[in-house]
Amino acid sequence: MRGFAGRIWRERGGRTGVLLVALVLFIALILPFATPDPNKIDVPARFLPPSLHHPLGTDNLGRDLLARVTVGTRSALWIACVVIALSMAGGLALGVIAALSGRLVDRLVTGFCDIVSAFPSYILVFSLVALYGAGLGKLVVAIALAFLPQFARITRSQALTLRHRPFIESARLMGLPATTIIRRHVLPNIVGPVIVLASMNIPSVITTEAAMSFIGLGVQPPQTSLGTLIRDGYVFLDQSWWPIIGAVAVLAIATLGCTLLGEALRDVVDPKLRREP
Amino acid sequence: MTSDFSRRHFLLTSAAAGLVPFALGLPAARAAAGGTVTLRLGDDLSNLDPAYRVGTVEGNILRAVCQQLARFKPGSLDWEPDAAKTITQNSDTEIEFELNPGQMFHGGYGEMTAEDVKFSFERFTKPDKTGAMVPYADDFAALDHVEVTGTYTGKLILKNPAPAIWTIGICDASGTILSKKAFEALGDKVATQAIGTGPYLFKEWKAREHVILAANPDYKGADTAPFAELTLKPIVENRTALLALMAGEVALTETDVTAEDELAKAKANGIETLKIDGIDYTWIAINVQKGPLADLKVRQAIRLGIDVQSILEGAYGGKVGRANALLAPALLGYWADAPVYNRDPAAAKALLAEAGQTGISLTFTCLNDAISQATAQIVQANLAEIGITLTINAIDPGAYWAMGSGDASKDLDLTLIPYTSKFDPGFQTQWFVSAQVGVWNWQRWKNAEFDTLHKEAGSTLDKAVRQEKYVRMQQLLDESASCVWITHGAHLFGYAKTLKPVMLPDGTDWQLRDFAPA
Repeated sequence: MRGFAGRIWRERGGRTGVLLVALVLFIALILPFATPDPNKIDVPARFLPPSLHHPLGTDNLGRDLLARVTVGTRSALWIACVVIALSMAGGLALGVIAALSGRLVDRLVTGFCDIVSAFPSYILVFSLVALYGAGLGKLVVAIALAFLPQFARITRSQALTLRHRPFIESARLMGLPATTIIRRHVLPNIVGPVIVLASMNIPSVITTEAAMSFIGLGVQPPQTSLGTLIRDGYVFLDQSWWPIIGAVAVLAIATLGCTLLGEALRDVVDPKLRREP
Repeated sequence: MTSDFSRRHFLLTSAAAGLVPFALGLPAARAAAGGTVTLRLGDDLSNLDPAYRVGTVEGNILRAVCQQLARFKPGSLDWEPDAAKTITQNSDTEIEFELNPGQMFHGGYGEMTAEDVKFSFERFTKPDKTGAMVPYADDFAALDHVEVTGTYTGKLILKNPAPAIWTIGICDASGTILSKKAFEALGDKVATQAIGTGPYLFKEWKAREHVILAANPDYKGADTAPFAELTLKPIVENRTALLALMAGEVALTETDVTAEDELAKAKANGIETLKIDGIDYTWIAINVQKGPLADLKVRQAIRLGIDVQSILEGAYGGKVGRANALLAPALLGYWADAPVYNRDPAAAKALLAEAGQTGISLTFTCLNDAISQATAQIVQANLAEIGITLTINAIDPGAYWAMGSGDASKDLDLTLIPYTSKFDPGFQTQWFVSAQVGVWNWQRWKNAEFDTLHKEAGSTLDKAVRQEKYVRMQQLLDESASCVWITHGAHLFGYAKTLKPVMLPDGTDWQLRDFAPA
């Protein structure tokens, strides 16, 4: 394999990351077609041990755990993608505006980022959800807000280095509108590090969402997420241990896979950051 | 000299050493006479002032540190004199007492007198320094005043006959007798320092670490403290507490009823199990004023559409019994012949058809704990089968209990409610009267006969008459189809076999002064 993908695949970490992420994608996107209704309650069949019919067993309401894990994984990935898309879009916009506008706007944007970053992400998300109420939409916005400053900062710093580069000066002298300069010349040159940051943040978003759902502030029943599955498994741990296993394993695989893939991506995009063996 | 003891070896050795106690079986904590025993508290203390106490944790400690005129006998709802040498009900509205002489308050605050009784009880009948009544004012709502007739003698003069004053006033934590002198000297410190005359004295409270009660050397009663010290350790999380019990760190803990099998397996390690059926009540309240729910047939359909047995199995692990009415079997007023509504989707659908209601969409509000959410999901699935769409609104306790003010309950449809109980049935029925609509009557059901019966049953001393009235009240509730009763709950305790714990029949009131070595 050659090129970008080939360079990731040649890295041991990158190869592992690709395989693990592929496994998670399989669980989230393909497996649901082969599993029963994840919300079908069958109380007499509760806490059935793993079997051919229920490969991960059943939960306290007799629901198939494999089906619920697949839906939970899909939910985690979907939330991660939406959160990253929102925070990346917001961060790109704010970062570019800060870098290319006047000093006042720059100070306002950096001040906003400093204030948001001053709170640990869990505390910030927890506070926002406590303030505005639980629910998937609110959770997504809260997590996106917590991750936004990272994107704004990296965009701003990248854009600042480009600001006085000859090709930007030339474009400006040619009378191109600012939006065109940003679209054609700034964004393509800063998108690489931003994508790397996005890939590195996916595991954090997944665990943040799982943590919020674990304490009941995230995904609400009957919808499920890895966090709610782990919480339910934990609550009924004295009655059966298997409900917790599937969700914990997928959470571990997803975060590990995304982290390894993100690191490999970073090494490929920016070889200066490559770790010495 | 070099060592080949690598980090890997170190980790392996440490792990092996750590596992040895588990492999050998962990010893339970020992509770020996005259020694120290450590018990788990479900929560840390908040306020030790009896009139402002927050929960049963404070009440349990207060009853060990302070005396009452009369107290519940160990494990029973019968009472016996405690600080009083004699206490008798002279008439419907007069209770006379004589204190034992020589009962000394801890910390050198002198001897208990009838003035202390008057001070302790009348605090509940007057506004405090902020002008508000104390939170537990209802416990002595019937008390007019305390008449002091001598150093050790006095009379409780009631406004009206009030049988509940014995069980929720005199014998409960509100009835603990404080030192007037200590109270005035300590000021706000009474919230963190209990001064009493009981068998234990309040030695130390380190927030979130422990509470230590030490044997009171000056205690004159027959039931002297069997332990030199009781250490009470707040552990909020039940599973953590269970592990602490298994590890011998605590000698007693309450835990989730679902852990019954796990506790039974620990018997070989010296852990005993105590299960007490509760008197609390969890039910689904149906707002009789809201849209289609105003139709009796719709409410009856919902009652027939919900599979309570599945809720007990799925949400409670089959470890609690079913409630068929408001009052638990242990209480006066228990309705033994209450109808049992088993799930009947066909009948439920027929009722909805009769009511001409189709495509009903409702919200199910509940707390966001696992049991409540499991219940909500079962109800959601049950009602979907009879054509009712349910949206679950699981909210945190702060927001949930805030619905008890500002008429917030008017927007509720179905609500899963867990209420705690006291030993007098009037405490339970008070939340269902018309005046509670907009406060704690989330069914918003009003019935003049119910209101009258509540008033009458709360002011007669004749047990047979009270029994009849409380049963009739529950029949009225049943006819309204505004409540789907789930369970009275149960309390499960694990304890070291060397300890003999004593609880009142509700399972939440611990009689710490009666705990003894087995």
